[in-house]
Amino acid sequence: MEATATPRVTASYLSSYIGRNVIVVGKVIQLRGEEATLDADGSINAHLNRDAHLSAGNGVQIIGKVNPDLSIKVLTSLDLGTGVDYNLANTVVEIAHQQRPMFFYE
Amino acid sequence: MSAYGGYAKTSYGAQGGDDGGGFTMGGTQQGSQGGGSKFADDSLRPVTIKQLIESEESYPGGPLAIDGVPVTQVTLIGQVREIKEQTTNVTYRVDDGTGIVDVKKWIDAERSDGGANTTFQLDTYVRVFGRLTAFNGKKHVGAHFIRAIEDFNEVNYHLLDATYVHLYLTKGAPGAGGGGGGGDAGGDGMFVDGSNGAHSAAPSRLNLCKPNAKRVFKFMQGASDNDGCGAAAIAQGTGMSVTEVIQAADDLLGQGLIYTTLDDETWAVLDY
Repeated sequence: MEATATPRVTASYLSSYIGRNVIVVGKVIQLRGEEATLDADGSINAHLNRDAHLSAGNGVQIIGKVNPDLSIKVLTSLDLGTGVDYNLANTVVEIAHQQRPMFFYE
Repeated sequence: MSAYGGYAKTSYGAQGGDDGGGFTMGGTQQGSQGGGSKFADDSLRPVTIKQLIESEESYPGGPLAIDGVPVTQVTLIGQVREIKEQTTNVTYRVDDGTGIVDVKKWIDAERSDGGANTTFQLDTYVRVFGRLTAFNGKKHVGAHFIRAIEDFNEVNYHLLDATYVHLYLTKGAPGAGGGGGGGDAGGDGMFVDGSNGAHSAAPSRLNLCKPNAKRVFKFMQGASDNDGCGAAAIAQGTGMSVTEVIQAADDLLGQGLIYTTLDDETWAVLDY
């Protein structure tokens, strides 16, 4: 039982979470070696770790730390395939920020 | 008779002895849940792990409650972060982004296949059905059933599901307008968003407002003149109290759906 939240965010919320761990669900737009560009209601640069297996065009969930330049240092990633409803994922982020007591520790 | 009376006192007196009939839990029961509390206890509630962590006994020694409603049976989703196999059970640490909780699946010794049910790879998303229990002050979920999630969207569906139930219990059913007056509120179906063709002018942000705010907004859309609507006029038109109208207007102001005109208690719909 641990009270540590990893907030679900989209690109526009990153600036509020610098230095913290977040969850991002997005689409892989581009892969450049150890870096990737994701689209999660806006584009996000991700610095990948060794065991990240992303494929361009697929959905991905990354958990990582937000850098001061709003890129993300990825700790773990999970390939989600092609059937991801991104609108739904973005809506969940909005709802979570509306209903903060259900999702975040203040 | 005296023996019977004494019996009633000892068993119910300790609970605070409401003579409302029946055995009601906690005291913060929602109106619609009034009936058998046994039923409310055992309904299956979708939750976030943070809600489980913050659940509290509704009275000392009583059942754990979320939003003032007792819960035992819950369903949750999350990623498996750690698996501990023990002789009698397998303990999974499940993380849904809002917290981490231990989920214990008891091994069924009766089963001939050794009871070694399917275990899961680390970091896979699972759905858990189980019972929330507190043991030595530590809460865990005793799982009846755990399965892997194949369609990732189920994770998001679940989070919305849990939010919906939370809002239903804290703010009432959508479109119900907080009781009183609005019995037959026109085309307000169970599902407010999307399906209301007649009110298609309503912006999507309205769906984030409370039911009362929706009523006020619809009233204002129908009755706007240049100077806006006063709180008293809205209260009269919707059958709500002025205080409720002012709260609803605050909600709408917060969403940028209306703006103040002549004074602080007169508003107009923001059209653009």
